Amino acid sequence: MSKGENRTDHLPRSPGVGDDPREHKDTNTPPGKIRFRDLDEAVIEADRCIQCGSCAAACPSDSIGIDEIDGKPTLVKMCTGCSRCWDFCPRSGLRYERVIEETEANREGSTSAYAVRADDDSAREAGQDGGAVTALLAGLLEAGEIDGAVVAREREDEPLRGEAMLATSREELLESGGSIFNQTMQLGEIDRVVGESDLDDPDLALVGTPCVIQGAKALESFGRPGEGSEIALTVALFCTRSFEYDRLTSLLVEHGVEPEAVDHLDVADGKLFAYGESETLLETDVEAFDAAGLPGCEECADFTGRAADIAAGNVASPDDATTFVVRGERGADALDAAASELEIEDLGDDTALRKLAGWNRRKAEETLPREFDPEGDLSIGYEQHRERYDDTDRAPQSHNPARAYQYERWC
Amino acid sequence: MSDVSVVGPAWLDDHRDEVAVVDVRDENSYESVGHVPGAVNVPYEAIRDPTSGTAGHLPTPAEFAGLCAEAGIDEETPIVAYDDGPGVYAARLLLTAAALGHEGELYLLDGGYDDWSDSYETETGPVEGDEAASYDADEPGSPVVGRERVETAVDEDETVLVDTRSAAEYDSAHIPGAVQLGWEDLVADGSLKDREEIRRMLADRGLDADREIVLYCNTARRLSHTYAVLSELGYESVYAYEGSLTDWIREESDDWSPEGLEQQVREYADEGFEALVDAHGDGVLDRLKLIGLYHQKQRGYFMLRTKVPGGNLTAEQARVIGEVADEFATAPEEYGGAEQNAEFGDAYLDITDRQDIQMHWIELEDVPEIWDRYDEVGLTTMQACGNSVRNVVACPVSGLDPEEELDAQSVADRVTERFLGDEHYANLPRKFKVSVTGCHENCARAEINDLGLLPARKDGRVGFNAKIGGGLSDGPRIARDLDLFVEPDQVVDLVEAAADFFIDHGSYLDTAVNRLRFLVAEMGVETVREEIEARASFEFESAGEGLTERYRGDHVGVHEQADGNRYVGLNVPVGRMGGAEFARLADLAEQYGNGEVRVTLNQNAVLPGVAPDEVEQLREDPVVKRYSPDPGPFTRGVLACTGKEYCTYGIINTKNRAVRWARELDEWYEQEYDGPADPDAIRMHLSGCSASCAQPQIADIGLRGEDRRTIEGSEPAVDVGLGGDLGRERFIDWIVGSHPTADLPDAVRRVLDAYAADTEDEPFSVWVEQTPRERLFDLVTDRAESTATPTEADD
Ligand SMILES: Cc1cc2nc3c(=O)[nH]c(=O)nc-3n(C[C@H](O)[C@H](O)[C@H](O)COP(=O)(O)OP(=O)(O)OC[C@H]3O[C@@H](n4cnc5c(N)ncnc54)[C@H](O)[C@@H]3O)c2cc1C
Ligand code: SF4
Ligand code: SF4
Ligand code: SF4
Repeated sequence: MSKGENRTDHLPRSPGVGDDPREHKDTNTPPGKIRFRDLDEAVIEADRCIQCGSCAAACPSDSIGIDEIDGKPTLVKMCTGCSRCWDFCPRSGLRYERVIEETEANREGSTSAYAVRADDDSAREAGQDGGAVTALLAGLLEAGEIDGAVVAREREDEPLRGEAMLATSREELLESGGSIFNQTMQLGEIDRVVGESDLDDPDLALVGTPCVIQGAKALESFGRPGEGSEIALTVALFCTRSFEYDRLTSLLVEHGVEPEAVDHLDVADGKLFAYGESETLLETDVEAFDAAGLPGCEECADFTGRAADIAAGNVASPDDATTFVVRGERGADALDAAASELEIEDLGDDTALRKLAGWNRRKAEETLPREFDPEGDLSIGYEQHRERYDDTDRAPQSHNPARAYQYERWC
Repeated sequence: MSDVSVVGPAWLDDHRDEVAVVDVRDENSYESVGHVPGAVNVPYEAIRDPTSGTAGHLPTPAEFAGLCAEAGIDEETPIVAYDDGPGVYAARLLLTAAALGHEGELYLLDGGYDDWSDSYETETGPVEGDEAASYDADEPGSPVVGRERVETAVDEDETVLVDTRSAAEYDSAHIPGAVQLGWEDLVADGSLKDREEIRRMLADRGLDADREIVLYCNTARRLSHTYAVLSELGYESVYAYEGSLTDWIREESDDWSPEGLEQQVREYADEGFEALVDAHGDGVLDRLKLIGLYHQKQRGYFMLRTKVPGGNLTAEQARVIGEVADEFATAPEEYGGAEQNAEFGDAYLDITDRQDIQMHWIELEDVPEIWDRYDEVGLTTMQACGNSVRNVVACPVSGLDPEEELDAQSVADRVTERFLGDEHYANLPRKFKVSVTGCHENCARAEINDLGLLPARKDGRVGFNAKIGGGLSDGPRIARDLDLFVEPDQVVDLVEAAADFFIDHGSYLDTAVNRLRFLVAEMGVETVREEIEARASFEFESAGEGLTERYRGDHVGVHEQADGNRYVGLNVPVGRMGGAEFARLADLAEQYGNGEVRVTLNQNAVLPGVAPDEVEQLREDPVVKRYSPDPGPFTRGVLACTGKEYCTYGIINTKNRAVRWARELDEWYEQEYDGPADPDAIRMHLSGCSASCAQPQIADIGLRGEDRRTIEGSEPAVDVGLGGDLGRERFIDWIVGSHPTADLPDAVRRVLDAYAADTEDEPFSVWVEQTPRERLFDLVTDRAESTATPTEADD
């Protein structure tokens, strides 16, 4: 950072939007100090959180956990105000487009697109599209390239609700095949799932929506020395939006579909499908579910997960295949190492992919209250955020004491 | 009391025009997913306010009235409330209305929005501009009850306590005598089960309609649903306990009593750490703080905190502490053993700025042995941590100082004795810090304690003036004058009354903002005074004439005592010294001094009662040489908390860094600094994070650990503040945020050179106050081009 770049720092920092008792104090706030409650107001209370879990992963004191009710980040321990959660949140302090830009600039090797199918029937069965992601991970596990993959599965107690899991065997991968259309705080869950396993210092593959991978990349590139080094491969799932769990199930019910009856959902060609064990329960324009989309997703311009080593989706390839975009040496090596598990063809015409990505990006640029600037500063300060977001419908909302931090752990 | 009825979508469809329909889901769901036509939106979250002064989670009557009025509801309007599903959240609104005196009918929509939208029309979009109404809410009352009601229920037979959580939760802990009735067992597929089936379940548990029932859960949310169901079934005496179960348990159970915890430690000492955690869960690690054991970052090892009221130790006690540190505070080989810390090795202890002594790497296996040795010499670790009356700090030279008005030590001892082991006060809403000063020099920092006592005179009597509500960390405040004079004999009463007030009004629910200072800020110091007086056993009188003349930073150096002897203030940089060295101090105290070792609020040690002609000889001892009473100004003024080395919150390492800086800066000071202003000490306080354990706010140069993330990566950093001065009741001004630690000694030099150039004899804090912020900012940040390597190793 060049000298003097923080020059506005000596100005008094504006207080958060809520009337917090801690603001009635006898000294000023250190310039640039950002606490969890600022993130909370600007992102979570403002209903912009995409539940990527970057904040939880970045917090040095593990102060951020997952709220039992809404699945969003919440404080579970004292917050020291180190600003890291803000600095790594792609909806506030982290200019995610710059992360993508840096990642691409530093990547060695080329990018190719393929149509990929799992070689094995069970993986194809278990998978959402071609089962290619499942097969890729199984291949890497068996080749000893990774010790585990952080994926997602449906929770046992709530239909369609996802949770992060660590798969360390083919069986577990088959179990977790298919797409989960709500967010799991994936990045913040890595420590937990690894901690609960018997792996020690493992090499991992991380699967997640593009925002999750942005966070992972940011920690690896701009974090503390060694941070993020356990992730040997990142796999992004193409994504235009994810859904808020309660709203999603409410809308399903409204469309006459009981969430319990749904085996899996799919979003493809502008339609949303709900499938039962054997029949199609619902096929409707995905717009009918707009209200359940995470509002924070509208600010996302990263359909193809450009920070990831491999990105996977359904668009542009045949129905029974997965589109793979394989980037750089890490991506290519992974594909090689798992080749025996996969049927790989060149993608051929990628117009549909490029169109959708372009549309997604234009939409995001329209929605973002701030400028979309891949060359811009990596960091977006609290004041800068407020300048752009205040007085928009994405403005910070005062922190709600009811969501307050009922933690018992202090220094 | 107001009844709640449970109605279905068909009923609502018929009666929609006669009632106010309230949607308690969040605004986004209400607007975008849809709502019952004509429904108003009062988001559930808006009606829960654990930070308000009102009982439990209830909003204040004014807040609730405002929400209702805005939604066009007056106190007689019938209300139908719904949420996404079976109605836990909606029931919460109804219970809130009932408690705040709503007079109209209350209905819960069974199955919520999901069932409604299955069969009936919905609408989307924002709230229609309903006519605002006026609403008159009462102070909270029945059906919401407090802890006393539960206490009676536990003791008598007429009332049944009902635990509305799951059977598993009930099994892990419940209030004695409570019957389990999980709210979820009453619903199936998102709506209420068949009424007859529910009646059978109730009958199975002996819950007849004519019994008095008190419901509880964890956060007063789930019980609301059960309340509605019982009310629907014609139960007339149903009450809700707003306090959380955690709150109850902490108050009542062995798990939270110091004796119970001590027992657990002794029981598992042989089997070890993991066995204890297996048996009592990870939560036991939080509870152990209550008896002085802080679990370190390194699994299986503890920091042990010994409290030293007023900082006063006998030589015998000091020797035991030193020996224990030497023997047990040793790092295991896997963490580097004796080399684990480049600066200090291991087997050391830390004197803290609250006159406690901490040691690290303590293993569970050794704790009983340590306690036994402690018992023999009258030391304790009980209530050294946790939400209790913390170590009472006092003037470390009380009884010695020639200018003393009162013996602060004896007052500190009496307060300590009163609260030690008292279970009632072992679980305050948060920690409670008391400071007692007896001299004219305010060396015990009354301003930053919850309750601070400074000497005063009134009508010829000598006693204390009280200050209340000071503290650092998040939202720092200087204590306010309570306008109260107390005699030394009344102090214990006062502390008790203040603690009682804290228990009654401090929120157990929102732990983030419940230090006493927030109550003082919220209620105003006059109200707080009245509240405390109401709980005290003596009549309050207004403040006397304060006797404080100045503020004293430390006790380093050789000073004359009232009796003509000397006390020798040793300088222990950042408070850390070897256990063996500390034991040596005990020898010296016996050999040269009066048999006491005192520890100060500056992380230093004092040897009192040295005969004037023996001082020189004492100075020759290697330990006295090492912790010299004549240090350089930086080494003398440096203070640091535990930091990242052991503390889970610490963002950067502190102790090693701070001593290194102090050494480097002292050299510079001696050789190059050329200022007319030549202070004895330059107080540089380095705290690992904003919890501010090293009290950066009162330093000349206050530093607080941060992390600085740039495109080049993350590096350790500090917030830099300047010009704190308790003598002038001034906290520092924070000048720069997240400045790289790599540039730190240089930044201090730049600031001090500018100070020296600007002024002849002004105190540093005055200079800071008069210098424009921008200039200070430039002085701190102006990095000489490449002193800073991008990432300083964070050792
Ligand atoms: C929210 C969301 C939106 C999507 N939108 C589109 C779209 O608009 N267009 C498009 O072409 N493709 C989209 N996809 C990607 C698509 O649904 C498939 O995931 C992709 O084609 C890979 O298919 P597969 O059969 O190879 O994967 P599979 O073999 O099914 O393997 C997928 C792996 O990803 C993991 N996983 C699934 N969901 C998540 C999640 N939410 N977080 C973390 N890990 C997860 C699974 O556990 C599994 O290990 C979306 C995916 C998601 C999760
Ligand atoms: S301590 Fe954790 S929650 Fe608080 S600011 Fe830092 S990263 Fe955020
Ligand atoms: S968007 Fe991601 S990083 Fe930001 S608050 Fe939500 S979970 Fe945390
Ligand atoms: S659209 Fe973007 S922000 Fe939303 S889940 Fe997908 S990747 Fe994340």
